Amino acid sequence: MTALLQARALTHRFGRTIALDDVSLTLSPHEILAIVGESGSGKSTLLNVLSGCLTPQSGDVMYHDGTTVRSLAERGERAVRTLQRARWGYVAQDPRSALRLDITAGGNIGERLMAGGARHYGHIRAVAARWLETVEIDPVRIDDLPRTFSGGMLQRLQIAATLVTDPELVFMDEPTGGLDVSVQARILDLIRSLVRSLGLAIVIVTHDIGVARLLADRLIVMRHGRIVEAGLTDQVLDDPHHPYTQLLVASVLPA
Amino acid sequence: MQGYNFAYLDEQTKRMIRRAILKAVAIPGHQVPFAGREMPLPYGWGTGGIQVTAAILGAEDVLKVIDQGADDTTNAVSIRSFFARTAGVRTTTSTAEASVIQTRHRIPERQLRGDQIIVYQVPIPEPLFRLEPSRAAARRMHAMSDYGPMQVKLYEDITRFGRVAVAYDHPVLVNCRYLMSPSPIPAFDNPKLHRMAALQLFGAGREKRIYAVPPYTDVVSLDFEDRPFEPVRAPARCALCGADDTYLDEMVTDDRGGRLFACSDTDHCAAILAGTA
Repeated sequence: MTALLQARALTHRFGRTIALDDVSLTLSPHEILAIVGESGSGKSTLLNVLSGCLTPQSGDVMYHDGTTVRSLAERGERAVRTLQRARWGYVAQDPRSALRLDITAGGNIGERLMAGGARHYGHIRAVAARWLETVEIDPVRIDDLPRTFSGGMLQRLQIAATLVTDPELVFMDEPTGGLDVSVQARILDLIRSLVRSLGLAIVIVTHDIGVARLLADRLIVMRHGRIVEAGLTDQVLDDPHHPYTQLLVASVLPA
Repeated sequence: MQGYNFAYLDEQTKRMIRRAILKAVAIPGHQVPFAGREMPLPYGWGTGGIQVTAAILGAEDVLKVIDQGADDTTNAVSIRSFFARTAGVRTTTSTAEASVIQTRHRIPERQLRGDQIIVYQVPIPEPLFRLEPSRAAARRMHAMSDYGPMQVKLYEDITRFGRVAVAYDHPVLVNCRYLMSPSPIPAFDNPKLHRMAALQLFGAGREKRIYAVPPYTDVVSLDFEDRPFEPVRAPARCALCGADDTYLDEMVTDDRGGRLFACSDTDHCAAILAGTA
């Protein structure tokens, strides 16, 4: 099977700090890949590079769009934006920064549709209502402003606003960060059921080993901008080889 | 008038503005920056329009200036007399006679011809202004035709008010490419922009931008398929000439709720009364 996304020898520095040091990885269609590591290990930078938000200083990201395999740099900014608007999605940690808080829930969900050329008000509303239901928000709230939503609802709204264009690849940056444990569990349940039913490929950044164990097929562990260990999730977490991974796994509080 | 160059601006400045105009005509709807000069009137009174007019005016031109449809309001009178003094051109209040028409807030009711030029005074040239605070980001959105957020704003209007709530400055797409602010003309006038025979030039003095719509260019008001763009107009007849197809101003006549509607385009109203429209 051809890879959906492939990173080759990515290197990126911020001043004297190396954020990415010769990072390569492969993502297959429908696969869920977790990137774990502590703060400052370069995992968010890696996500930004993979999703085309940041151009790496060296190395490239190859994307297979169904017909050809070409790097993001070769495709150009316009094509990458088109991918980001429709076939890719990005779920940020803080939904308040990703959503428009002065625009109704329906408008937020409809934004990606309208950016893609949808111009039928009735259809856009119908799709938005359907998606609210999918993410377990009462559709009567379609005309409410997001600022009246709770933290968990906001995150579910962001997920709906991302998945509305039926993307094939979604990047998630700590989607459950900053939420209390019971809300986290609901969001994780939602993500898990959606990715299976929609057949999404996902790259998810997390520092929570539990999230990785629950969602991911494969796992990479990052430290100081390098990948120190990679493999199937269960394999890595049950039998960690690298001392740093052993430390990470050991430092999880027993449930 | 002694001590001034023809039409107030020096020849170098006019040349610079003409270059900007040529570029603007070549890329319909695209905002071209220009080195706007200080003019002897305050920003917001038409410094952009007056510079464009000064750059294109010739000795043979006949100038008409409109403010809110009328020829006899302060702004119109002062700009008209400004060019009468600094350029010595003939001025008129008749739309048919004018070769250059500078306007604020209206397009004349009478259909313009191919040998006429209309110059709009523009306060805010950037249609994405209220959606994207960063000018750099807005320019990128133009470059990438990333106009989804503008449509989201229309969606919000319909959701909250049942219709698109902007009665003026309704955003348009020019030549299927650039999103453009038509300047604060009423939405009623938007259809006149579409495939107009006259050259349309837009000057924003404070923001230092010039843009243009060449003759017979497609100009489409943004809307939804199932909520088509509808130009609004007061449901009344003009109290003076009786016209029922023109844009009307509402005037309060007493303090007991009395009001009347009259044509905003004074020249057109007078022409109907005289039977020459």
